[in-house]
Amino acid sequence: MAQGTVKRASAGGLRRRKLLTAWLFMVPLLAINVLVILGPSLATIYYSFTDWSGIGPAEFVGFENYTDLLADGDFWVAMWHNVVWTFLFLTVPIVMGLLGAILLSQIKRFQMIFRVAYFIPYVVASVVNAAIWQNILDPSRGIGSALGSIGIPFLEGVSFFGSETLALPSVAFVNIWAWWGFIVLLFLTALQSVDHDLYEAARMDGAGRWQQFLNVTLPGIRPTFVFVVLLTIINSLLVFDYVYIITRGGPAGASEVVGTLMWKQAFERFEAGYAAAMGLGLSFVSGIIVVIFVFLRRRGWEV
Amino acid sequence: MHAQISRRQFLAKGGTAALGVGLGGSLLAGCGGGGSGGGQVTYWSNLEGSGPQAYFKKSIEKPFEKANKGTDLKVTFQPPDEMDRLVRTALQGGEGPDIIMTPGPAYAREYIDANLFAELDEYSKEYGWDDKLLGWAIDLGRYEDKLYAIPYQLQTMLLYYNKTLFEDKGMLPPKDRDELEAMAEEFQGQGITPFAAGIGDDPAAIEWFPTVFWNHYSGPDALYQALTGEIPFSDPVFVDAIELFNNYVQKGWFGGSQEKFFSNGIDALHADLGDGKAGTNVEGSWFLSNIEDFFKDSGDAWDWAPLPPLRSGVPAELYELGIGSTLSVNARAEDAEGAAAFIDYLVADKKRAAEWMAAVPSAFNAPLPFAQSDFPLSMDERVARQLAALSQATNAGNFGYTAWTFWPPKSDLYIQEEMQKVLTGDITAAEFCKGLNEQFTEERKDGAVPKIIKPGGA
Repeated sequence: MAQGTVKRASAGGLRRRKLLTAWLFMVPLLAINVLVILGPSLATIYYSFTDWSGIGPAEFVGFENYTDLLADGDFWVAMWHNVVWTFLFLTVPIVMGLLGAILLSQIKRFQMIFRVAYFIPYVVASVVNAAIWQNILDPSRGIGSALGSIGIPFLEGVSFFGSETLALPSVAFVNIWAWWGFIVLLFLTALQSVDHDLYEAARMDGAGRWQQFLNVTLPGIRPTFVFVVLLTIINSLLVFDYVYIITRGGPAGASEVVGTLMWKQAFERFEAGYAAAMGLGLSFVSGIIVVIFVFLRRRGWEV
Repeated sequence: MHAQISRRQFLAKGGTAALGVGLGGSLLAGCGGGGSGGGQVTYWSNLEGSGPQAYFKKSIEKPFEKANKGTDLKVTFQPPDEMDRLVRTALQGGEGPDIIMTPGPAYAREYIDANLFAELDEYSKEYGWDDKLLGWAIDLGRYEDKLYAIPYQLQTMLLYYNKTLFEDKGMLPPKDRDELEAMAEEFQGQGITPFAAGIGDDPAAIEWFPTVFWNHYSGPDALYQALTGEIPFSDPVFVDAIELFNNYVQKGWFGGSQEKFFSNGIDALHADLGDGKAGTNVEGSWFLSNIEDFFKDSGDAWDWAPLPPLRSGVPAELYELGIGSTLSVNARAEDAEGAAAFIDYLVADKKRAAEWMAAVPSAFNAPLPFAQSDFPLSMDERVARQLAALSQATNAGNFGYTAWTFWPPKSDLYIQEEMQKVLTGDITAAEFCKGLNEQFTEERKDGAVPKIIKPGGA
């Protein structure tokens, strides 16, 4: 009896020590998190209820920033551009990435060369990628002009980044060019984890390539697929760099997204409080998407 | 836009009367020697290019330290377009340089309201800035009768042109609207872009054009009245000016086409001017600092001309006044005296400033009453001529207003953003001007409009 008690006490002590050790390892990370995520997040929430200009004192204005946000036409136009952007990124790079991954998975020789080639744009700084494509698509000195000089004039004089209708898809194109290689690698890794016996069994059942893709490949990579979709949606809502570098939201707001609009509010219009409210609005939308993702998992989706 | 620099200035012979500045004596420089309290003084400069930056280190930083024993001047070069954001971010964190540069007087006010700038009146007395600096310029740095900011890097707008191209075509720079339109049609007919222009990598630069058209079409008198609240910006005289600019853009005169105007980058359009693909370029005097680079490959010659009047009654030689930056002492500066000493060294000595202005055109344009004889012979003839012309014109009261200097910040931003919508047809010129008037009126009520100096004819 006494021995049992000692054993239980000793086991309890061990558990506590293990717990303590675990917490000790966690503390630095927690501290960093509090410092760089929780702190600024709380500050952002606070400032979103103020008229803070970015410097100096902030005055409490209640929900004024949020009511202004709801009535702000520029915000909704920018949000619509985010939706368009999301649609483009949910289709073009995912289809390209999937196709690229399937094609890559079929070849054994030189696969690594292709992998590297696809991945390089992703690791190149966005300013460099943007500069490359700004030059390529320059209406006077770019590819349109070069093609025109050899008798192929259909792109001559086309101002991809200066046209209201072309600016947003053109910037998205540049971003997709840098992004899709990453998707290829994600899908390729997922494809390699699909049990080959399943393909064998499907073939024995008379399944063709398309049916194998639908009934074996897609279910096999579903967790990665859903992850890519989630990543794409969140990245599309947060997009900033390529738009800022290439068009700064222009011309006349034709490529404005919430990220660039928020930047302008904070650093050009000196309305940091309003920008904070805008940022929280965007976080709210992102949060809803994450909640849906979690909900689907709980409902048994393998996501 | 507010960017970099420029201008040389005024008040050649004695005058300045029109600007209410006492020219007179004041010629003695207030060398920055001896005023520093010792210690480190940090300064963020908006100077671009390795050449000008090396010149700054050698010819300004080192001599200043030598003249102010014990003061360690620590200079960091920041991109001009990013300067304000970097300063604000640093100040939010309780940091920032000891000498704070803002994009112009209108932007300085917010810092003053936040008690981030030290009062400079004592230093002004100590160094005699009131006697040395141009009266109108130093007045732009005063708020509620206290001096907080010293305007620096004076600017104006000019019409640059490819002189070789003009000579080849037997043309002269336009002197009025008819000549300007004839020139544009002639160039366009020959496949040459009349005006190299574009805002691809700096959308804010669109404000140059309303500035130019309001000054040279609406005229400085109308602008003075609008800036002082006597007439609204929705007045037809301003609407017509915007419509005229829009009309020129739609014709493809600026940048080649409306869409190209939105996508052309600044280096590309400068290159077009240099190699004769474009005939002219409407830009600020800051372009004098690197225009030569764009003519090296072609070997063509360049020159500048005053922007012509676009309506009868507007002065022929009219120069918009602009301030590229202001300098203030950070209220948290540990060595405020050292910071003030450096501002004095940088801004208030005519001989030194003239040398620097000759070495790096437009980068060090101090608000001083220069006479042409103040400049060294080594100064580029075109730069010296520009300074002299500017002095004569401003002495005669023929000056106008740049948006980034005399419009309050939100109105200026409105111009930058909404002007694009006029060009794309999303709003009309009248709607644009009406919106500007509403924004301006609001800011005027808040006291955000800088002091407006009266032009000669008003």
